Parts: sequence; C-alpha cells; structure tokens
Amino acid sequence: MWNKNPLEQTQRRITILFWIFLALLIVLSLRLWQLSVLERERYQLRSEQNRIRISPLSAPRGFIFDRNRQVLAEDLPNFTAVFVPGTVNLEEAISGLEQILGRTISTSPRERSSGEMVLVDNLTIEEVIRIEQAGEKLPGILIETFFARHYPLSEVTSHVVGYVGRVSAEELSQGKSADYSPDDFIGKNGVELFYEDILKGKKGYRRMEVNALGKVVSVLENVPPRFENSLVLTLDSEFQQFCYQLLEGKKGVILVGDPWTGEILVMVNRPAFDPNALSRGVTQEEWKEISLDPGFPLTNRAIQSLYPPGSLFKLLIAFSALEEGAVNEKSVFSCPGYLDYNDWRYWCWKRQGHGRVDLVSAIAQSCNVTFYNLGLAVGPDNIRNYAQQFYFGRPSGIDLPGEKNGFLPSPLWKRQNLGEFWFPGDTINLAIGQGYLLVTPFECWQMISLIATQGIKAKPHLLLKVLDAKGEEIWSFTPQIEDKIEAQPQTWNLIHQGMRQVVEQGTGYACRGLPVNGKTGTAQNPQGEDHSWFGGFFPREEPELAFLVLVEHGGDGSGEAAQLSRKIVEWWIKNRGGSE
Amino acid sequence: MDFKKPLVIAALVLSILGIFAVYSVDPFRGQGLVWSSFYGRQIIWCLVSWVWFLLIIRIDYQTLIKYGWWIYLLVIFSLIAVLIVGEVDETGSRRWIFSRSVQPSELAKIGFIIFLTRYLVQRVEEFDTWALFFKVAALGAIPTLLIFFQPDFGTAIFFVIISFLALVLSNFAVRRLLVILGMGVVASFISWFFLLDYQKERLLSFFAPQRDPLGSGYNVIQSLIAIGAGGLSGKGWLSGSQSQLQFLPARYTDFIFAAWCEQFGFLGGMALLVLFGVLIWSMFNIALECPNLEGKFLTSLLTWIFVFQIGINIGMNMGIMPVTGIPLPFISYGGSSLVVNLTAVGIIYNVAQSKGEEDWEPIL
Ligand SMILES: [Zn+2]
Repeated sequence: MWNKNPLEQTQRRITILFWIFLALLIVLSLRLWQLSVLERERYQLRSEQNRIRISPLSAPRGFIFDRNRQVLAEDLPNFTAVFVPGTVNLEEAISGLEQILGRTISTSPRERSSGEMVLVDNLTIEEVIRIEQAGEKLPGILIETFFARHYPLSEVTSHVVGYVGRVSAEELSQGKSADYSPDDFIGKNGVELFYEDILKGKKGYRRMEVNALGKVVSVLENVPPRFENSLVLTLDSEFQQFCYQLLEGKKGVILVGDPWTGEILVMVNRPAFDPNALSRGVTQEEWKEISLDPGFPLTNRAIQSLYPPGSLFKLLIAFSALEEGAVNEKSVFSCPGYLDYNDWRYWCWKRQGHGRVDLVSAIAQSCNVTFYNLGLAVGPDNIRNYAQQFYFGRPSGIDLPGEKNGFLPSPLWKRQNLGEFWFPGDTINLAIGQGYLLVTPFECWQMISLIATQGIKAKPHLLLKVLDAKGEEIWSFTPQIEDKIEAQPQTWNLIHQGMRQVVEQGTGYACRGLPVNGKTGTAQNPQGEDHSWFGGFFPREEPELAFLVLVEHGGDGSGEAAQLSRKIVEWWIKNRGGSE
Repeated sequence: MDFKKPLVIAALVLSILGIFAVYSVDPFRGQGLVWSSFYGRQIIWCLVSWVWFLLIIRIDYQTLIKYGWWIYLLVIFSLIAVLIVGEVDETGSRRWIFSRSVQPSELAKIGFIIFLTRYLVQRVEEFDTWALFFKVAALGAIPTLLIFFQPDFGTAIFFVIISFLALVLSNFAVRRLLVILGMGVVASFISWFFLLDYQKERLLSFFAPQRDPLGSGYNVIQSLIAIGAGGLSGKGWLSGSQSQLQFLPARYTDFIFAAWCEQFGFLGGMALLVLFGVLIWSMFNIALECPNLEGKFLTSLLTWIFVFQIGINIGMNMGIMPVTGIPLPFISYGGSSLVVNLTAVGIIYNVAQSKGEEDWEPIL
C-alpha cells in the first residue's frame, strides 16, 4: 500500500506511541499509589514483622603452609559486635554498647550485606562475656565470630604470600558480587590473590527470627560456612627467614630454587611490609605512607623490578658466541685494558688490562674487552634471540600476580622508538649487560638455573600441594619440563668451567672453598652506588640449588652479593645436609 | 517551543538524583573513601558522561544516518567479537570486552537504531509492504541472534521490539502488524524446540524468576515491602523501618527505585516518574516537531530505549514485570549505561537543534 504522504502518517503513529507511553506511566503511577498509599498499612506491618533475617556468613580461608608444614597464613577468630536492625536505632545501640565496654567506639560502623552493622572488631574474651551478660539491656547487639588473617612470619614472607583485604567496590562491580559481600575478605596480592579461588572457603548463611528488640529468637536455618582447601608452598620458611636476615638494613633480593623441578625455596625482598597490618585494614594516611615509601616496600622486586644485569649477562654472551662459533676453547684474546672502536675508547674494568685470556679466564676475570669483541662478533639481533631462549623478556609462568618482564633492545626497536641508528657502542654496552637492557632478578635466576641443568627448563612454581579440609592431599605438583635449550655439550662445559674459575680464581673469591659455580655482576646505577649481583649453583656436578643475590647499591658483585651467597650456601650445607 | 531545555534539565536533575540515590544505599558510604565507593564512582561517571554529551551534540545526526550501513557493520562486527573474545560475567553471559569496561550490546542499541532509520527512510515507496517487512526482519535478526547467544535476553527482546516499532512508524497497516505479531508468537514457539536444554533453562528463569525462591522472588517481596513501608511521604533521607532496605540485594542497581521510595515515599516515586515523563514528553515533541522523516524515526526509536528500561525496571520493582537486571536510566549505579543514555539524549538534542517548524504546538 503505497502512501502519498508518509510524513503525515508517521506523525500520527508517533502520536499514538506517545499515548501508549502515557498509559504506561499512568499504570506505573497507579501501581505506586496502590502499594504506598492503599496497601501501606499491610506493607508497613509486614515490614515491622519482617523479622526473618538472612545473614551471610563469611567463610574461613584456607591455611598456607611452607614445604615443611610451617604455617605462613592462618585465620584467627575475631569477635565482633554486630548491630541487628530492629526497633532501636543505631545511635542508641552504640551508646548502650559504649556503656558496657566502658570505652568510646571510634571507628564508624561498617555495613554487612544483610543489613547488619559491624560496630567493633577484635573484642577481647572479657568484653565478649560482658556483652553476653548484658543480654536484654543491649537490644540489637549480637556477638559474631569473624576471621582475621594472620601471618606468623609477617614481613619475611610478605611478598610471596601477599595479604588480604575487604573486598572493594571495584571488585564487587567487576563480577565478584555473586560470591562476596562487602564484609568479606579477598586476596589482594601474592599467593593470596593468585590462588584466591582455592583459598576462599564456601560461604554459609543463617536465617534467623528476631524479636522486637532485634535479638535473635530462633535460628530457622543455619548453613555454616565451610573451610575448604589449604595450600602447601615450595618455600622453605627457615631458609627464607635466614635469607631475610641476611638482607637486614639493605635493599635487595635473594632467590633460591631447585633448577630441575622449578620449586622456589626462597624468595626474599627487602624492604618488606607488614601483611598483618595491611590485612587488618589501614587508614588512608597509613596506606599513603606505605605506598609512597621511597623504598617501595610493597614491590616484589624479584619479579617486578627492572635492573641492568651487568656482568651476569656475560654468561649469555659467552653462550651465544660459543653457539655461533665466534669463539672456542682454543681462542685467545688480548686485553690491553681498553678497546678502540670507531674513534672511541671503551675501557675494561681493569684499566691495566688482563693481558692474554681465553674464554674461561675471561669469564673468571669478567674481562670487558673480551666480551666487547664477542658481542660485536655475535651482533645485537643474535644476542636478543639467545636472550629470549633463556626466557629474558618473557613471562616465566610463575604463580604470582603482577610479574614484569625485562626489556631486550634491538636495532629495530631503537630506530622505531628513538629514531636513531644502532651504533656499535650500543652492542658494546649490551655485551656487558648495560645500556638499554633491563631484566628482573627472577629472569637472572632462571638463566642461572638453565645453565645449571644444561638447558632443561622446568616450570617455576610456588604451589606444591593442595590439601582438602581434612588435610588430605588432593593435588600435588608434578615437575614439568617445559622446554629445552639445545646446545653443544662443549658450550655448557666451558661456561661451567668459567663459573668454577670465577669462584676459585676470579671475581667470586668470597665463595672460595665452596663447591659453587657462580658469576658476579655489577650494574652501574646513575642514582648512586652500583648494584651488586651474584648468581650461581651448587654442587658443581648434579646441582641441587640455583641461587641469585642482588644487593641494591651493594658495590661491585665480588663484594656484598658474593659474601651473602657464601652464607646462603653454608647455611644449606649445615642445615639441609648438602653434599660433600 | 524549545524542547531542548526540558530535555536537558530533566536528564540533568535525574542524573544528580541518581548520585543521591546511590549514596543513600552505598555500603561503602561510611568508610570515608570517597573515590572507591559506589557514589564516588557514580559522580566521576556522571562528569565523564556529561562531557561526552557535550561532544555528542556537536555531531550532526544527518552525518550519523549517512554512515548507517557502516554503523550496522560495526555493530555486527563488535557483537561477533564479543562472542569470540568476550569476557564472561557473573551471570555466565559473554557480554564484555576490554576488561569488562565495555558492553557492546549497549552501544549496539543506538547503532542499530541509526541503521534502521537510514534503511527505512530510503525506502518510503516500500512502506507497508511484505517485502520491506522481510528485509527488516532479516537485517534485525542478525544482531538479535548474536545478542541472544551471549546470552542477553533483555537486550535481544529490545532489538525485536525496536524493529517492530520501526515497522509501526513505517505506516504498516494495523491488520498487517497484527499478522506480524502472530507470526512472532508462532516463530518463538517453533524455535523453542531448537534450543538446547541450558538455553531453555536460562529463558525460563528470565521469564519466571520465582522458580528460584531464594533468589529474585525474595528480592521482589523485599522490594514491595520497601515501597509499601515508605507510605505517602517516606521514612526520610537515609532512614527507613527496613533499616534502609538492607534486606534488599542489588539495591544500588536493580532495586534502587524501591530504595528511593522507602525514603521518599509515593511523592518521591512520583517525582521520579514525572521527571521521566518530562524527559520522554520532550523527546516525543522533538520527534513530532522535526520536519524530516529521518529525524522523526531516529528520535522516536531512541526514545524507546528509555521507555523500555523505565517500564521494565520500575515495573519489576513493583512486582509487575519479570526481574531481569535492566537498570533504571540515570538512577542505577553504573557508568556504561549512563554513557549510552546520554549518547541517546545527545543525539536527540542534536535533532532538536536543527531547526524545525516554528509554529509547532506541543502534544499535551
Ligand atoms: Zn680485561
């Protein structure tokens, strides 16, 4: 039906639609009138009789244990005075409670999802008894047991275990609302966050009938919360504590792990934070103080901070040069103390020179000139490829949130981002782990670990076992070989020899006499004193452990980092019956 | 008469009332952390979306209509993208992209309306023909089915209703419209047999929430009690015998109307209804006043975004509509719906700006 004047007809249709809308609006208004005026008394009565309250009950979180079942995180009971809405108002209830307790309540009430207000946390047993005895004189007040997270080792395991906090508005609006109410705790960092879904228990709820004073008359239905799973971590908490003390008064990282299985035994960062305080809840000022602390106590430096690796990177350059055929066991270099290249003079750290050196002693002496030459022979793109094989700049897959990855520069990157060509000087810097290159301590630990196993890559992990509520093992980690770096046996051999010489005759003299293969590193730092690195593994054959020490502003690698490494290895041999 | 003023004033007052409404039920209100609370976020979203509104009104609606086909393709593309790479929310639906910040089916509503306008105004000679009906049905079915399978039934139904209203505006004869309605009923019965079991389950709980007695049935009862207990003038700001509706789940989103009515009673509820009435009355008048067909189509279809949400949300708060999780425009907590609503208001504003007939007498 073709229409002569569609505009006019459409105009009529719009008018009709408007009347339909108006009818809808009138229906809604009438319904509102019906509910709030005509049936008001009925609903007001129902609202007064509405004494059935559903109260969700927060579930206790699972334990976190170390590998020897030492407790790293547990839930302690927290007795709380809760206001249940009834005929008394909140102010009356608070003043009544203040009289009984004999102190003023300074914190503002916190709402629970069911409509109850938490007035005071952390009541003592005596206070609980006093409130219970007051009984009818305190209408509307209930004692409830909540759980507070406690970390016995506090700062020592803070970065790995993490902490919990009350679920935030953001988390609630991001899809957690189904499982959490605003009063619940949720993992905020570390293992607590990463394994939140395993650690959180099963929530319960209670349907209660309350009398006119808001006191519970009867519990109609009680579905208690259920404690569910606990975690056993790969950490060795005694070893962790020892390493934590080693870094007393310093800033740095210690990592120790089994290179064959990827189990992390020690992950220590300093400065650290108090997870007990954070989990209890801190004020805005306290939070500001912690998060703006120039020492970055909240940062898990091991996986989140980037540093130049310094001479530690020479191991990777040696590997690349051997695999590319740029050097072999017979090659000899001469170090006059500097390298002249394109009108520039690049100095060795030892200005009087190392004289004639082969690859093994170049590693042992950490001779820069030799590595300048090797780096130039291999080239920046090859170096980048080999570094990626060693998992630099790639996610390690460790079970912690917020891992950062290192940065591997390349000529293409420099041209695109800085608009400059890649100069031979850039390669020379790269060859000694300086310049644009940045890595995380964990990536360095992985490189040491890959050298220890001669290329076998196990997936690094912190979770060893999952236990059910009865403590029975329901899951345990089976080591996974993720990857293997293929190389000639002689390549591994020469690098191992070089690392042995580091300890026996070279820059790692602090570890002399121990069955350790290692490498020192000194990362130049424009902001102050150099960072000191030491990475290694022991025993030399069949290595049990790979370790890495970083001391910020610790001077050169032969100093602080190597001295701490000696203590770490000695502790292990003494306390965990190391070999030899 | 200038309808831009009542349009903007109603929207502005409603979005400010929304902040107060969210504040009054915010579980994080007492904690002193303004910006991590719901109302703090609502304030930020309000500012952001009003700035966005000021940008939108500068875009000529004729330009939008010109790109109708491209917008349609973009809508289809983003809905497919959601099905493939979208993130699943707590209801198990795959609706979100970009870390749950964008819900494409929300913006798709506006895109689809722009496209329908473009498509239909170019086919005035085909108005009220079966051929045109089948073309509209086919073009509408693609996005509708994509949304249906997220699944987001509320929005899918909205797409069907909008397509039908577009036919109404295209002067289809009443007889023909009735036949189309009948075909729709038959088609939905047939398609029931092609649905998988879990899809049937979801549809049933969408239309009959009382199947889950501890779930939304409980919510509706609490909502009715709250509205009734509010009485004529309410229990007052931040108070109420239900202790501020602390029984009521989702009271800062789906059931915010009930929370409002407990505090401000019948009069407060009527104030909201009147404000919505003024908003939509202005929109209808802008549609009627606009001299060209495309402006009329665009404005009246966009208007139904609001009519649909207001009808379903307030209806569900008062127990006469199924509980569906459709928010109340401007009042419910939530940034993305605020942005979409103000986008629609902005486009309508632009239609009103392009001068119409001076001597237009407003309806009512
Ligand atoms: Zn040298």
